[in-house]
Amino acid sequence: MILAYLGAGALLAGLVMGLFSAMLSFWAGWSQNVVMVQVGRRAFYATAAMLVIASVVLETALLTHDFSLAYVTEHSDLSTPIALVAAAFYGGQEGSLLYWALILGLLGSVALVASATLGLRVAAYAAGIMAAILSFFLVVLVLVASPFDVLQITPPDGLGLNPVLRDGGMLIHPPVILAGFASFAIPFSFAAAALLAGRSDAAWIAHTRRFALLAWGLQSTGLLLGMWWAYHVLGWGGYWGWDPVENVALMPWLATTAYLHSSQVQERRGRLRGWNFGLVILAFLLVVFGTFIVRSGIVPSVHTFAVSSIGPWFFGFLGACLVFSVGLLAIRGGTLKTRGEPAPAVSREGAFALQNLLLIGVVAVVLWGTILPLVSGMTGQERVVGAAYYERAAGPLFAAILVLMAAGPLVPWRHAGAPLVRALRWPAGAFALIVAVLFASGVRSLPALLGIPLGAAVAGTVLYEYFRAAMRWRRAGAGWARAVALVSRKRRRYGAYLAHLGLAVVVLGLAGSHFWQQEKDVTLQPGQQVSVAGYSLTYTGSQVRQLSDHSELIAAMQLGDRTLQPARATYASLGGQSLTHVAISSSPIADVYVVLAGTNGDGSASFRIFVNPLVTWIWSGGAVIILGVLLGNARERRFAVAPAVVRVPSTVGAS
Amino acid sequence: MIRWGIVMLVVCGCVGYLVYSASGASEYYLTVSELRSQQPGGGDVRVAGVVQNDVRRSDGGLQVQFTEKDGTSSVLVDYKGALPDIFRPGITVVAEGRLGADNVFHARMLLAKCPSRFSTTPYTQ
Repeated sequence: MILAYLGAGALLAGLVMGLFSAMLSFWAGWSQNVVMVQVGRRAFYATAAMLVIASVVLETALLTHDFSLAYVTEHSDLSTPIALVAAAFYGGQEGSLLYWALILGLLGSVALVASATLGLRVAAYAAGIMAAILSFFLVVLVLVASPFDVLQITPPDGLGLNPVLRDGGMLIHPPVILAGFASFAIPFSFAAAALLAGRSDAAWIAHTRRFALLAWGLQSTGLLLGMWWAYHVLGWGGYWGWDPVENVALMPWLATTAYLHSSQVQERRGRLRGWNFGLVILAFLLVVFGTFIVRSGIVPSVHTFAVSSIGPWFFGFLGACLVFSVGLLAIRGGTLKTRGEPAPAVSREGAFALQNLLLIGVVAVVLWGTILPLVSGMTGQERVVGAAYYERAAGPLFAAILVLMAAGPLVPWRHAGAPLVRALRWPAGAFALIVAVLFASGVRSLPALLGIPLGAAVAGTVLYEYFRAAMRWRRAGAGWARAVALVSRKRRRYGAYLAHLGLAVVVLGLAGSHFWQQEKDVTLQPGQQVSVAGYSLTYTGSQVRQLSDHSELIAAMQLGDRTLQPARATYASLGGQSLTHVAISSSPIADVYVVLAGTNGDGSASFRIFVNPLVTWIWSGGAVIILGVLLGNARERRFAVAPAVVRVPSTVGAS
Repeated sequence: MIRWGIVMLVVCGCVGYLVYSASGASEYYLTVSELRSQQPGGGDVRVAGVVQNDVRRSDGGLQVQFTEKDGTSSVLVDYKGALPDIFRPGITVVAEGRLGADNVFHARMLLAKCPSRFSTTPYTQ
């Protein structure tokens, strides 16, 4: 009980501090009042501190099983493993909002600490915008969805967690993807602050580069973890279903990916200023839009999150962000024009610009597919699209993006010459070779003949770049010290290449499992054998095991010298809900994925068996991407960023 | 600049064309009563409704027949394949397939509403 008051008090204090910080920061920035800017920033730190207190209180209430709190009762029980009880912090609606606000408060504070170099106004406005976003979350947390609501009668035990979610994936996927979304508010806030202060130089990009990269890394990891979790737990043999909930997580990732590339064009060449502002705003709006879609339940999805009254609040917030951002761009757009020679089409900046257009094209495709039920529902009978739509509409765009990934890194900045054609031999050679091999082995499907070779071509480009670096290193006299110096001088570049290589591996895994997945439904007597895609499996028998709250039917399947044990648990207490335990035998070539459907009276058992080629490549490619992000995020001497103290009037041309 | 304008137009045109042509793959999302008001033998649709208590499984659980109901109307659904884990009477499912001339809905795919919330049912006092 005392915890509930403590937590609610912390949220209320945080809300007051947040509103105070927002209003003071805007006013102080406007009037250039140094002391008040300081005060506004400290009020932001205080808001973050209140969120930390509220989070600690909620976590304490969960871990001590304080069932006087409705949130604790609804999201945990005494029998839930302690790690999952702790995970209930972000598992429910109210807690996940608190978690979102906590991440923004903490990262925002870090971003504000060193913000003085950006100039008084930008720093003040950034604090004001972040405080305003935090205040919105706090209003919702205090008024509509408080995690600290108290039950009138304290129940002896909680309701616990649906068995589908009682899994290790619950511990890692939600916090990572939520943090990825929350952290993108920081580039957004600084971009909007720079725009508000009339600054069009790249200082805000340099200042928030780490946060954009962090957001991208977390979103990538979150998406991959979600796929991994779905693949290992849900038992439908796949990892991506183009469900609205997945789509709204993919769209900000696409926009963030576009931004990571286009921001380099502004840093290096002073171009795409307006576009960069637009992208950051788009990525942030997509995050808010996604939260709205997921929480309001207005689009049919297999995931029904805790649909609640916060939908309209997020709709209002989305509208406010949209009006603010578009208004800002309209008012300040004039200062963002690039002067000077237009960029040649065949150049690195040209490749980045085209890649950006294509990525935004994919966003448009996914967005349309996601909101189609809404749009069509307004004008007539509601319509939905499935995987076929996304594959047909986004597939060609992804192929074009892969072509750019293969060619782009070899194209020099400014202009391209003869060396480019020589360099392009490598990815082109890899592409042609793989196409020939696939064609010779009887593959005739066009998407497959493009997907796999393009992935190989991307990898070819990266390996060629690493090869060139190794040659330079040998010419310089080799040795460990030089290798470290060489890599650390261009960490960003080599980190990015590593991420490209990881993505190429992921693409190969996606293409392999998508184009060559095989599935078979079988009913087998003990001792009977079945062969799927060259793998022969023998069913040896099944047994039933009775556990405290559920019973488990476990079948045994012999695959070579390995025994696979697909199982099905049945929870009598939950109206007979059953839970599949998929058995997967992984190898770099293919996963054998066995789902037990059930047993029959005559002793036979029914299975659905998938053979999924190259799925492990997706997960290992993901690990390489993370390594690339870590390398690219390591400290690096910054190249010349325009001095932050100079305000750039609209009459001054591009650098 | 004009050149970039052209590139932008071309990309927008391509995206527009792709979206337009792929939208042909869209399906109607109906309630059971809306399905009932249509003639059998139409194209693929998705139907949302609540699973009733008459679930009959055969073939070790790979084949299943049940009645899907919303408010007033109901339809018999026939489905072959692995069932979603949370499938049981009382939950809402979305069946993708078509209504046959036999007035049975033959589903190719069965989606169950995934309980993405932690608890089983909201706590009521």
